[in-house]
Amino acid sequence: MSNNLFNRGFFPRYWKRILIFLSVFGPATITAMADNDAGGVATYSIAGARLGYPILFPLVIITILLGVTQEMGMRLTVITRKGLGDLIREKFGVRAAMFMFGALIIANFGTLVTELSAVKTTAAMLNIPALPAVIVIVVVSFVLIVRGNYKITQSLMLFACLFFMAYIFSAIKARPDWSLAVSNLFYPHGVEFTPQYTRDFLLIGMGVLGTTITPWGQFFISSFAFDKKIEKGKVNYSQLEAYWGAFLTDFFSFFMIVATAAALFVNHIPLVSGEGAAIAIQPFAGKLAGTLFAVGILNAGFMGLVVVSLSTAYAFAEFFGVSGSLDDSFKKSKTFYILFGGQMLIAAVIAMFGGISLFQIAVLTQTINAVALPLVFYYLIKLTNDKGLMGEFANNKFQKYFSITCTIFIVVASVSTVAISIYQAVKV
Amino acid sequence: MAFLSEIIGRSVTDLDGRSVGKLKDVVVRPWADFPHPFIEAVEVESKGKTRILPFAAVAALLSPVIPLKYRSDEIPGFDLKEDDVLLSRDVLDQQIIDTDGARVVRVNDVELVRVNGTIYVSNVDVSWVGIMRRMGLVGLAHFLAGHIKQKGIAWDDVELMRRDQFMQLRVPAEKLHELHPADLADIVADLNKLESGQLLDKLDVSHLADTLEEVEPDFQKEIIEHMPDEKVADVLEEMEPDEAADLLADLPEGRKQDLLALMEKEDADDIRKLLAYPEDSAGGIMTTEYAFIHPNLTASEAIKELRGMADEVETMFYVYVVDTEEHLMGAFSLNNLIFAAPGQMVSEFMSKHLITVNLTDDQETVAQTVAKYDLLAVPVVDEQNHLHGIVTADDALDKIIPTAWKKRLPRFYR
Repeated sequence: MSNNLFNRGFFPRYWKRILIFLSVFGPATITAMADNDAGGVATYSIAGARLGYPILFPLVIITILLGVTQEMGMRLTVITRKGLGDLIREKFGVRAAMFMFGALIIANFGTLVTELSAVKTTAAMLNIPALPAVIVIVVVSFVLIVRGNYKITQSLMLFACLFFMAYIFSAIKARPDWSLAVSNLFYPHGVEFTPQYTRDFLLIGMGVLGTTITPWGQFFISSFAFDKKIEKGKVNYSQLEAYWGAFLTDFFSFFMIVATAAALFVNHIPLVSGEGAAIAIQPFAGKLAGTLFAVGILNAGFMGLVVVSLSTAYAFAEFFGVSGSLDDSFKKSKTFYILFGGQMLIAAVIAMFGGISLFQIAVLTQTINAVALPLVFYYLIKLTNDKGLMGEFANNKFQKYFSITCTIFIVVASVSTVAISIYQAVKV
Repeated sequence: MAFLSEIIGRSVTDLDGRSVGKLKDVVVRPWADFPHPFIEAVEVESKGKTRILPFAAVAALLSPVIPLKYRSDEIPGFDLKEDDVLLSRDVLDQQIIDTDGARVVRVNDVELVRVNGTIYVSNVDVSWVGIMRRMGLVGLAHFLAGHIKQKGIAWDDVELMRRDQFMQLRVPAEKLHELHPADLADIVADLNKLESGQLLDKLDVSHLADTLEEVEPDFQKEIIEHMPDEKVADVLEEMEPDEAADLLADLPEGRKQDLLALMEKEDADDIRKLLAYPEDSAGGIMTTEYAFIHPNLTASEAIKELRGMADEVETMFYVYVVDTEEHLMGAFSLNNLIFAAPGQMVSEFMSKHLITVNLTDDQETVAQTVAKYDLLAVPVVDEQNHLHGIVTADDALDKIIPTAWKKRLPRFYR
């Protein structure tokens, strides 16, 4: 029976395509899922709790923007066989490289402190002692990256993606109004749009976008795809993966928002910190839902930690020409690995003992990101427009203008993210 | 001594002191027989337009303002050739292969030196001092340069890659041929799959075979995946039969048979024989390239006979003595042979009590035998004492000592 099907020539072709897709699968999905890091979960939780279902509406736009920008980075790397960092250094010189790296390392460092602080807070909610939890996560990440190779890292990161399912269960447990949730994806409705609400909606909507599309995301997708050594001929499969990754990320974001909207917004429970959502939803969705939510945050923190640290280490290797590949031994890529581990270690010490206001770190991180993002997209669009570099895969007219439009939108959003933080500060 | 980054951007003036633009780039032309190329021309940019002038038109290149020897309307032109290298465009900030250190690095600056009015490219700067200088922190760079040892790479050791055609080598990789295959394997591992393919394309078959023997099995497979069958067959013929057999064993059955069919019959038969044994048995790791001789020869006849084998047998630790039916009778080392009187019979000075392993012995046993008796190679025989091949010490120890450790051992057996 199955032999007959194979002989008809349908399955072999079909299978071959699936196998090719699986062979390029990984970088875009991991990058996109890591965009929902601990900070991302916190932002989505706050958004759902304060604004309810209507804040689901921006998700569709975010998916498109994330897909478009990730696809450019992916295409650039697969076609030129160089990372974004390599190309910035080669085409725009050493000063551009130095500036971008400076912005990246500071902003990433802030992100790492945020991840680890979230791990610390969430561990306490799960009655796990915080210090051992942070130490275990840092040590496991370091050993994984140094001892493992590309393949192992990719597999583990993809496995970590599965934990995002926790949000689906949390959302179901919260007994949401599904039809209201889904219809809000297409147009925001079901609440009273007071001036106060509309202002919050715009600001938080922008903030959600700002935490999803980041400079490190752009660098990481490019570096990781480079380290995977994807062949030029498979570029359309990689492009497909870029869009798929964007979709998947926001698929899970949907459930995060639904969980907090159904449990907290509907019952008028205010939410101060994002991590607090795990506890706050318990009375309405049950203890299990809360625990799952917390596990999800821990996992998001772990993924963010590895991916963000790696993006700095990769960028350093590309900008300044030292060897940096997960497939290299520690001896060969010493700088790469030390940079990877060093950042995590310092961030862990600060998160545990620093006594620094998380809020200040968040504002600093967002500000640097808002400054760096326009530049990253300027380079990215300029490079993908370059026919000498990209050949027939250069941006066509539509891609060019569409990506510029998207970029303007993103830049406005990321600047607004800074504004929202300051606005919150004033309010509190 | 000057650096490229220091002179780029300086203003250029004509004979009357009027500005004709800024220095944009300098042109060097690689010469096959001279290791350091010299500056042949300069590129000057003015109001968005560039033009190339011969170096002969420049009065002094390494000065704060660059004066020309001509009036602005009399400046001669210069024709660029295909192979010309523009240092700023093609070298600065680009990746190069440092053939001395066997690694891929990024260029931070280029060092120039003036000898008798000609300016030569001396070194490529890949250090942090170079980055500081490029960032405009010249004072800091000077300070650091005095305290940190500079890591310049002599131009002679630089292999350039062609602009915008990634990792394509500019010259036909002469410098690469001088590298040890193990170093070449390191560089290949630094590049990605397709680029390393292009690099390997530049090598001749025997060099390629040596390099392939040095890289990890997974990577070997990847490299030959996209090579045409004819070429792979040629390379396999050049490789040691045991290495070639290992490589073939990992390939899909169809391709394996295709490749064997394309190889010369003698080499293919050797490999087929090896493929018949389990991978981790003595038969699977042995090589069929060994020196053998019949017992009824004199020492001087034996030397003559062995000379004739030079092409087929790369290494000769021991010479094995077999009868006409290939029964192993004894062996002698080259020492024994040279110390023997010219007329002495082989059967008289060979040693008859040999340590052997069986075809089906596992690798562990072989390795222990080699280690225990301190052998460079051990003969592999079947139940009837027919000689089938030898296992060299490095192959025996391969699985037991990780490759990384092995590489640190002295290569006395090579």
